[in-house]
Amino acid sequence: MHIKSELRFLSALWRANFLSLMEYRASFIMAVFGMMLNNAAYFIFWFIFFDRFEKVQGWGLSDMFVLFGSVASAFGLSVFLFGNVHFLADIIAGGRLDYYLSLPRPVLLHSLASRSSASGLGDFIYGFISFLLAGQFTVDAMGRFLLGMLLGAVVFVSFQVIAQSLAFWVGNASMIAAQASNAIVTFALYPLTLFDGTAKLILFTVIPAAFIGAVPAEFVRAFSLDRLILMVAGAITMLSLAVFMFYRGLRRYESGSAIQVQV
Amino acid sequence: MINALAYPADLFSRSFVMILFMWVFFQLWRVTYGSTGQESISGLTLKDTLWYLMIAETVILSKPRLGREISTQVKDGSVAYLLNKPYNFLLYQLSVSIGETLMRMVVNLVFGGAIVWLAVGPPPQMPAGLIVFPAILLAWLVDFCMVALIGLFAFVIEDVSAFEWIYSKLVLVLGGVLLPLDFFPDWLRTASLSLPFAYTTYAPARLFVEPTLEGAMALIGGQLAWLAILGLLLAFVFNRGMQHLVINGG
Repeated sequence: MHIKSELRFLSALWRANFLSLMEYRASFIMAVFGMMLNNAAYFIFWFIFFDRFEKVQGWGLSDMFVLFGSVASAFGLSVFLFGNVHFLADIIAGGRLDYYLSLPRPVLLHSLASRSSASGLGDFIYGFISFLLAGQFTVDAMGRFLLGMLLGAVVFVSFQVIAQSLAFWVGNASMIAAQASNAIVTFALYPLTLFDGTAKLILFTVIPAAFIGAVPAEFVRAFSLDRLILMVAGAITMLSLAVFMFYRGLRRYESGSAIQVQV
Repeated sequence: MINALAYPADLFSRSFVMILFMWVFFQLWRVTYGSTGQESISGLTLKDTLWYLMIAETVILSKPRLGREISTQVKDGSVAYLLNKPYNFLLYQLSVSIGETLMRMVVNLVFGGAIVWLAVGPPPQMPAGLIVFPAILLAWLVDFCMVALIGLFAFVIEDVSAFEWIYSKLVLVLGGVLLPLDFFPDWLRTASLSLPFAYTTYAPARLFVEPTLEGAMALIGGQLAWLAILGLLLAFVFNRGMQHLVINGG
């Protein structure tokens, strides 16, 4: 009953965010298509690269389509549904959590879902196009892509919440969090086979980019129970850490006592 | 330059991006060269490729976002306070940005250079590679002309962000920022070399790893030619833009 009520609340928030974005329809459409074009322009790099080298460590152009698609959709879904994931540190440091604390809803969920990034929808859609360009037209491949993308989005949001929550301890953490976001997306866009042992360990722990890019992409290529367990375990661990870190930090939160208007 | 030093966190966060990119590039190209089994691809060794990418990234990550600055000044009317000063508006923009750019370049060269040096050893051609500095300066001037042209379009259409975006992608791909033009198919390399974008990044980066007289003549010659063409065009557009200028607010 409790979960059902929170889900209803979340869907109402998302609906309100969407309507708010649609208020400026032209700029919404420009942001969505602009981001899709942006991704396509970046991907030209891989076209030229694989035209020259064909395969690198077993990875070819179609694998890169899947990898890029997984990362773009996971990232896009994260920032479209939880747009404040990049602004949480500013909200904490600016004392703007007061608003969320004063309402009878989960503070973390409410604050994250109170904003929606239009360009995120562009990333999300482009991810599917990229996946389809890989030529994987079977239902089970699509199912694996969806599952991998959802678990990747959980890892991305959780990782950002952990980085942004540092604001409870260090004050201005937005730059650290922005760099953390840069790092995880950059590493996620490359095949795991490029990296050696130590680097791989980092990509599964400190910067868990493997859970957003390479592991879901390999899972799409071929079903593997081990990979599925790894992805689910990674998502649960990251989510638990994020919730723990945020609520631990919240005990240190000091209200700004500023008068705020939420629009 | 003093402005840039006032925000050391911003400077060092940019150097973090540089370190990250160079480390990922090292992993990618180490594996790529390993899988082809060749020491040199299109005349570039692994060492050349990484030093090339380091210079290309330095040029791109160091340059200021000038187009947005100019278009904002045009949109909010603050351009009026700069236009009536006893100096040239365009040269003012250039001089304001160059100090900040130089500071960023030093930081990026130090951090990016350190990573590449540790990965593949010292730069391939020193001291002849020092020709990179005049080539970088010319690259920024060519870039400045194109970015300022885009910024000045704000005199006519006000919001130039779409043009800025297209320009940045053209530089990224046809300028050889992510991949040296030498690795392109012949037709695309020829097309890229006949456009100005290659002279904002490819030219200095390629000269750094192979500073031959022939290369310098072709690439620096290309930079000078594009600088002359774009400089004249910029002066023309600026004068025409002044006739379209509408100052908002008081």
